[in-house]
Amino acid sequence: MKHHTIPRIVTKLIIPLILLFGLYIQFHGDYSAGGGFQAGVIIASGFILYNIIFGLEVGLSILSINMTKNLMAIGILLYIAVGFMGIIQGLNFLEYNALLDSSKQGQLLGIFLVELGVGLTVSNVMILIFYSFNNLGGKL
Amino acid sequence: MIEANIIVIALISIALLMSIFRFIFAEEIYTKILATNLIGTKIVLLILLSGTLSVEKDFTDIALVYALINFISTIVILKYYEDREKHQ
Repeated sequence: MKHHTIPRIVTKLIIPLILLFGLYIQFHGDYSAGGGFQAGVIIASGFILYNIIFGLEVGLSILSINMTKNLMAIGILLYIAVGFMGIIQGLNFLEYNALLDSSKQGQLLGIFLVELGVGLTVSNVMILIFYSFNNLGGKL
Repeated sequence: MIEANIIVIALISIALLMSIFRFIFAEEIYTKILATNLIGTKIVLLILLSGTLSVEKDFTDIALVYALINFISTIVILKYYEDREKHQ
């Protein structure tokens, strides 16, 4: 798609808006429809659109396969770390009240961190599935 | 007394029906893709207008997601057919 001017310009204009919308779904998930999973899919769709328009080499130079795998593991580790904070203090798994002194603040922080981990993992898994569709010659 | 948004929903539904017939009776593949894009745009409008009817308030987010997926899927399908014509 080197010589298609209109999709390139429209994509350049629309990708910041897609990422902003993904972040809105991520951080406003407590109050309206949305959450980590949906935000991850939206952010990954923005990145996949960039890969389709500008070529896979440019996309891989921004976010390589190793980086994708690392980020996806970091998301899961964030989730598990928040979950084990409760067990360490003698409460249940994913007990948000144990995170901070104030119970309400602890709930807010816990939901925020768990949704952040879910969003990170889901977006990177979606990008990795997209990479594996483009048979990259045993690089995966 | 008929509300204005119900009239608009009926008109857009008629236009949606015409787009579906255009999709069914199209012969070239590019006409079919254009008709798919038209149907998607009209469904976005219908989602937004049905948000004015009910008590649910977050239909705008769903309409935005639908418009985004409509755009991306159109580009992907066009790229697929372009690559296939290049290989033939």
